[in-house]
Amino acid sequence: MRFFSFHLMPYPALPPDYDGPAWVTCPNELFDPVLGGELYNRYIDDLVRAEELGFDGVCVNEHHQNAYGLMPSPNLIAAALARQTSRVRIAVVGNALPLYDPPTRVAEEFAMIDCMSGGRLIAGMVVGGGPEYYSFSLNPAHARERFYEAHDLIIRAWTEPGPFEFIGKHYKLRYVNTWPRPIQQPHPEIWIPGVGSLETLEFVARHRYAYMGIPYFHISVFERMFSMFRQACTDVGYEADPLQLGWLVPVFVAETDDEARRRYEEHFWYFVRRLLPGINISPPGYTSVRSAENIMKNAGTFALNLERWEDVIEGRYAVVGSPETVAEVLETEVERLGVGNLLGLFQLGTLPADDTRRSMELFGREVMPRLRARFPAAATTAATGAVPS
Amino acid sequence: MSAPVAGVLDTAVGRVEVHRGGDGGPAPLVYLHSAQGETAGLALLELLAADRAVVAPVFPGFGSSEGLEHIDDIEDAAFHVLDVLDRLGITACDLVGASLGGWMAAELAVRWPERVRRMVLVNPVGLWVQGAPITEIFGRHPGELAGELFADPDHPLAALMRAMEAMEADPSQIPFDLVRPVLEAMAATAKIGWNPYLHDPKLRGRLGRVAAPTLVIHAVHDGIVPRAHAEAYAAAIPVCRVVDLDDAAHLAVLERPDAIAALVVAHCGA
Repeated sequence: MRFFSFHLMPYPALPPDYDGPAWVTCPNELFDPVLGGELYNRYIDDLVRAEELGFDGVCVNEHHQNAYGLMPSPNLIAAALARQTSRVRIAVVGNALPLYDPPTRVAEEFAMIDCMSGGRLIAGMVVGGGPEYYSFSLNPAHARERFYEAHDLIIRAWTEPGPFEFIGKHYKLRYVNTWPRPIQQPHPEIWIPGVGSLETLEFVARHRYAYMGIPYFHISVFERMFSMFRQACTDVGYEADPLQLGWLVPVFVAETDDEARRRYEEHFWYFVRRLLPGINISPPGYTSVRSAENIMKNAGTFALNLERWEDVIEGRYAVVGSPETVAEVLETEVERLGVGNLLGLFQLGTLPADDTRRSMELFGREVMPRLRARFPAAATTAATGAVPS
Repeated sequence: MSAPVAGVLDTAVGRVEVHRGGDGGPAPLVYLHSAQGETAGLALLELLAADRAVVAPVFPGFGSSEGLEHIDDIEDAAFHVLDVLDRLGITACDLVGASLGGWMAAELAVRWPERVRRMVLVNPVGLWVQGAPITEIFGRHPGELAGELFADPDHPLAALMRAMEAMEADPSQIPFDLVRPVLEAMAATAKIGWNPYLHDPKLRGRLGRVAAPTLVIHAVHDGIVPRAHAEAYAAAIPVCRVVDLDDAAHLAVLERPDAIAALVVAHCGA
């Protein structure tokens, strides 16, 4: 079992009278750059602190033109973390490959982070969210094709001696010869986040990468998604390793259950009602029709439809409570989901810095040891995605 | 006279659906549908088939037509339409196109002007006009879009779009058979028109090559394409005029089939 502290770097200061989406068209006049500077530094400190608290890794991700997450370039944050930490894995989950043209840029920057961190990078690769295809005016009907082609190019750039020629449908490069190369050989561990698209599940299974379930759905959706992943692995002839699965979930720990809810609830609702609106737009052609059907089945349980705190807790949209409660819930769910990576989201919405820190401390001191005892680490180092098969 | 019936045609990209009916006229009248995919049972085609031989191919990604995976942009679309004409043995035609189909018609007419005898474009996209943007069609709430597509709020399709919007919070409630054709049609439209948004930057400069006398029909309540686009076509095509159509919006072919059929027959001959 590995523990990661995941940060979205949310913008907590949307004005109360703004009721539009937090994505694509959310006016950038609402961003206060001075506050933004404070937030970046505070949020990086949170991630650095995760190393001191005993987490195995930290996670950052990429989103554009939105108040939900302020990291259009997660690689910049990862580079800062490479210098400010010395032990934790740095998971960039991920770079949205189709948004990089040519995608050899991703091979270069990831290799830089891997070198700078002494081989601690986890290389996440994503298609990019639906809103990104509006923000970049990038054709969503080409999203999957570009993703797969970019992935092949990046892996070849890391593993094949250059220079070589790459002539694909979307990328045509006459001299691929990526400097630097990553420390981790043949390449860093690869994670792919997903929301249940069948193509993605099958792709990850085929390459023996790790699949990270994206949150904000009812726990039953994760259960179904992870079981589909295990089936996809069986279909290509092997049994999925728990380390190939990760569950990303908001977590908040306080002294007691009542205290936890009292401190957390309003910030959770800010996140759901102010930062999520607009995240779930699915542009035309972004998924295949068979995947769209599968994803639509889950849409009713999307967090945007939540109204009652009881449903938040029951559906495990967030795990909130005393150390005892949080440990119990996580033990049960980790067992049920069969995941080997727990990605805790400790900063959510407007949650004040002190509460985030206290929650992470309690988690590191009282919850993590209990889960580690319950789910002893397998021989895990770079167990997944190290060797493309 | 006979109402159009569905058939299939094997093309370079795959098997497509083609609706054919009627006979007579100086040349076959070819109809290219909009992003709505309107073809099967379309009243406009039945009306036209009363006077003319009518051929309406269904573009890949719409209806049961295959081959969208081989189409990436408007260039591919134009070559596909040419391929359909070749395989049907249509050396010259009168070409009618609505919205997206109007754009395809214009792209065909600039490349192979000899294949187009007369042309009618109904609320065509295809051009970029400074200060007169085409309204966003992707990712919109269907109820909102209904007001831009239909002048009559009680049109059955407008009512259906509003009903779908009411189920948006939980799309699992919407029968997937109702959703599938919309997803496929929008994916096909996105492939051609996501960026550049529903236009070809090179088209305007090529419109001088159009040989066919052209009629552009602009529906006065069109909430998608401003009148400036009809004017831009008229300014660039050597022989071209604009007609304004009352009581209709972007999907005028669905709202005023009788008026449009009369305009087409008047322009192209019976």
